[in-house]
This record gives sequence, C-alpha cells and structure tokens, in this order.
Amino acid sequence: MARKCARLLLASLSIAASLGFDARAQDAAAPKSDEPPPLSAQCQAPASDIAAPEPLPNFAAVLAAKKKARILAIGSSSTFGVGATSRSRNYPSQLREILAKALKGVDVEIINRGISGEVAATTADRLRTEVALNRPDLVLWQLGTNDALSRVPPEQFEATVRSTIAWLKADKIDVVLVGLQYTPKLARDKNYEEIRDTLFKISAQEGVLYIRRYDAMRFISQARAAPVLAQDDFHLNDLGYRCMAEHVAQAVIANLFVRRFRPTSSGLLP
Amino acid sequence: MRAPNEIDFWRGFALLTIFINHVPGIVFERFTSRNFMLGDSAEMFVFLAGFSLRFVVGSSEKRAPLRNVAHRLLGRALEIYSAQILITMLALAILAGASLYLSQPALLDWHNASPVFHEPVETHIGLVLLTHQLGYFNILPLYVVLMTAAPLFAVLDRVSPWLLLAVSFAVWMGALVTGYNLPTWPIDGTWFFNPLGWQFIFVCGFLLARRDGPGGFARRHLKWIRILAIPFVLLGIVSAWHGYSPSPGHVPAPKLVFLFNKTFDSPARVLQFLCVAAVVHGLWARLPRWFAPVSEYFSRLGRNSLEVFCVCSVLSLCGQIAAYVYGGGIAKDTLVLSIGIIVMGLSAWLTEWRANARASSLRV
Repeated sequence: MARKCARLLLASLSIAASLGFDARAQDAAAPKSDEPPPLSAQCQAPASDIAAPEPLPNFAAVLAAKKKARILAIGSSSTFGVGATSRSRNYPSQLREILAKALKGVDVEIINRGISGEVAATTADRLRTEVALNRPDLVLWQLGTNDALSRVPPEQFEATVRSTIAWLKADKIDVVLVGLQYTPKLARDKNYEEIRDTLFKISAQEGVLYIRRYDAMRFISQARAAPVLAQDDFHLNDLGYRCMAEHVAQAVIANLFVRRFRPTSSGLLP
Repeated sequence: MRAPNEIDFWRGFALLTIFINHVPGIVFERFTSRNFMLGDSAEMFVFLAGFSLRFVVGSSEKRAPLRNVAHRLLGRALEIYSAQILITMLALAILAGASLYLSQPALLDWHNASPVFHEPVETHIGLVLLTHQLGYFNILPLYVVLMTAAPLFAVLDRVSPWLLLAVSFAVWMGALVTGYNLPTWPIDGTWFFNPLGWQFIFVCGFLLARRDGPGGFARRHLKWIRILAIPFVLLGIVSAWHGYSPSPGHVPAPKLVFLFNKTFDSPARVLQFLCVAAVVHGLWARLPRWFAPVSEYFSRLGRNSLEVFCVCSVLSLCGQIAAYVYGGGIAKDTLVLSIGIIVMGLSAWLTEWRANARASSLRV
C-alpha cells in the first residue's frame, strides 16, 4: 500500500513536471534548468505510456556539480538510427539538441554506440569497455528487440540486464533502459511480449528509469495520422526518432527532480 | 594428412565452441569454456594460431629462409582476407534472403548488417577495408592483421625471442594504457578484437612453441608453472561460474589492465588462459582409447581450421535464423548442434578429400 501511494505521488509529480510546473522546488541539489520540454503535437502520449518515474540521483548530482554532461547512448539499430534520413536525425542526435536547449548552460555530449542487430549480452560487454574508456555520466541502453527476435530465453536476458544494472549502480552511473521497438507485425509475438514484460519487471524491481517505447509508439501509431514508422514498417522514421528523443528527454529531465521516496515510521517522506 | 595431434585437437575443440557461442540463447552455451574461464575460445584459437606460426617460421636450429616465410605468411593473410570477404557476403545474402522470405525487415539489422543495406556506398568501402565488420564475423580481420605483421614477428624472433616478447608486451600494454584501438568506418566505433591487444597472446603461442627462449624456459619449469597455475585456474573457474567481472569504477587506472576486457584481451584473461594451457598441456596424449574417434574428429576440424571456421560462421547464422523461426528449446537446440557437428565434420573431410585428390592427380 505504502509503495502504491509512493508510486501515485511520483506519478503525479512527473505529470506535474510534464505539464510545465516548475519542479525545481522538489530538489535543491538539482541543476538550474527549465522545465521538461513539452512534447510536440505529433509525439503526445500518456505519461504512463512513456515512463514510470524513477530518480536519476547520480546524473542530477553530476549536473549540479559541473556544467558538462556526457551521455552514452548504446544499443542496436534504434540507437544507430536505421530508418532515419540521415544520422543527424537519429534519436541520440535529436536528443542532444533537445537536452542542450532544455538544460541551459550545460554542455551536453552524446556518444552514440549503437550497433544494429546486437543482443543485450554483446552490448553489455561493450558497455564495460565504453564506460572504462569514456566514463559517461548517464547511460541510455536501448535493448530487447534483438533478444526477442533471436529467441534468447527471457531468464538469460534478465540475468544479463540485472548484472549490468548492478555494476552500473555500484559505479554510481545512472542508466535509463529504452524499451523495445513497436511494430504491428510483432504485436502478437510471444517472445516479444515476454522480453517486454521482463524489462518492465526489472525496471520496477531495480528502480531504474524505463522508457516504454513500445507502448508510447503504439499509442502514437494508432492515434495519429502522421506515420512514425519507416517504409519497412519496422524501423522509426525521422518523426518517430523525434518522438523517441522527446520521450527520453522528458523522462530524463522530469526524473532529475524526483527523489527516491522511502516509507518511514512517520509516513512517506522524501 | 598429418596424424591427430594436440594443437589440431584443441583448435577443433575451439571451433565447435565458437559455433555454439555464436548461436545466442542455445542451451549448450552454458557448457562452453567461457563458463569456466575468464576468457573464451577466442584466446585458444588465437594462441594456437601463434603456435602454428612456428611451423612456418621454423625453430632456431632449422630456419626457413626469411623470404619464403614472408611470402607464405602474406599469402596466408590474403587467403584469410578473401575468406572474410566471402563469408561476409554469404552472411549478408543469407540475412537478405531470410528477410525477404520471412517478410521480416528486422533480420537486415542483425550483426551490424543494416549499414550495408541502408548506407551501401560508404559501407561497401568499409567492408573491403575491414573497417566495417559484421558481429560474430570479426575474428578473421584480426587474423589478417596478425598474419600481415607475422613476418615482423619472425624477424624479431630471429634477433631474440626475448626481444619479441618485450616488444609484443610493450605494444599490448600501450594499447591497454592508452585505450587505443583501430577505428571502424563508416560507423563510429572500434574493432571488436583489437589487434594491438590480441597480438600478445598470438606471440605467446609463437614463442612457447619454440624449444628455446621463453618456450624452453616454460618446458624446463613446467612442473612448477603447473603448481603455480592451479590456483589461478581455480580462481578463474569460480569467478566465471559466479559471473564475476570487476566494474570499471572499482579498478584503478589504467582500467583496461584490471578489467576482464575481451576487446583488448586484458591480462586477467591472458594469464588465466596461459595457466589453463599449462595445466591441460599433455592431457591429449593421455586420453583413453575409446575417445579416439572424438579426438580424430576434432583434429580433422583443426587441420582445416580456416575452411571449417568459414562453414561454422555461416552455419551459426543459419542456426540463429532457425531459432527465430522455430524458437529455442532443448530438442531444437540439439538438432541445431547435431547439424553443426555433422556439417563442420563433413566440410573438413571434403577439404582433405579435395587436397588428396589434387595431390594424387599431380602425382599422375
């Protein structure tokens, strides 16, 4: 019950943030910045379909301490940007523009290490190398689609993701999990659903910010006239990547102001 | 064809392990060497390639002329390069064919293939320059670099094996300390197998095959080396079994020296592999008689390692597509493994049969 109340409170905070209220009062340590950028009309989706609030304490502390943010975007084709008309339209490039505007005065650098078609276990190996060499302040890990298609058993996928989250936490690096691609073709694929459920479960249990890309894109695909998928009906197009970047940006910025709530003897206190 | 021997046996063993490890999610993955070692079959494969290099270069008593050595090694580099281009093109065609047949555009993404289909102009240049490599099809580019550098290793080895060891160690440490790796293009990134890192274990194999110098030292003190190696072997087993690998934030700088990094082949992986090699060395000769057919099978794979590796790479890709279509599970995975074992064995047999046929027609 207490956990549920905390979730409700967090959800309302996030919605307040997304509606444009100045949430800086929530956390004095957070950097001075504008509110999360509003979503453009084509990218509107319910907050619950984008991400459940989870704090990013380490990234917030880094932003408060220095005016430079190095973000590592790692993953597969959606990070690389298959389907975009040019690489400047992939999601990390568009995200950099949004964050640079939203986090005024912060020098935002995004390193793109998307390798198309890669399963999480291989990315997890590369992640260690990239973290050792580049020491990012925030990791955006887009994953799941290729594991589902390669039929990697969900429990094996789960073990890979959990062990990676564990060492990233121990190294005080916040990670944002960016979920599976939405495609009507795989809407009824059992493995696809299992991997999505697994990611959702991991993020909730580990307290890690998880962008529910599948749900957000499904909502947009079904509700809007403007297509977000490329001609192959699988990858995103420029607009799709724009929406993906906006969703990630909004979730990241909104959650900079969220602090972990823990039930105490006197009730729920931040 | 040469009789079964220890090197060919382990090389064949490594090839079968590579096949299994390249079908993600396959049940048998959990029984491969990487579950018991900090490294995996790649170390074994590269080390044994270095060991075999000794047969081309010759020992201190029986030296092949340097010109012949360079000619053979550069020829081998070209052969491996051709094999890399061939299997890459086959893999691309398999992915494209499967994508069309199954109406699944996602398959065009697998193993970093999508730039070939979506940015063909730049990526084709990258494929030829080896700066664009498909995932799981990235060990042969390392071999091309090693074979191209091998004449230099041979020259240094002739001056002094200890000098070669020192130079190789310095290059390895330089890569680990600076984090330098060959770049990939057109996709920003670096090689999956950094040749500057992996050359060390290759040179280790080359030097340990020599009966004097470091190889002689290791032979003379094998008993003590084994005793010292056992704790490292056990530590590696425990560590791999529990999935322990230090995180970058918990090791001092230079971090790559202390991590269990595959791209740079970090010292922990190399050291534990060399310890395992010291311990299992000689085991092959003591294998029971009933094991002979298995030993023969692995040796045959090992004798024809390049051909079998090519078949193994393409076959593992087919295994992945089969997993996508039919799903996993013990029965299907057993079928995939059985087909792998049979086809790899057949391809080795066919390669030898062709070589024999050619040799006998020349005699006639």
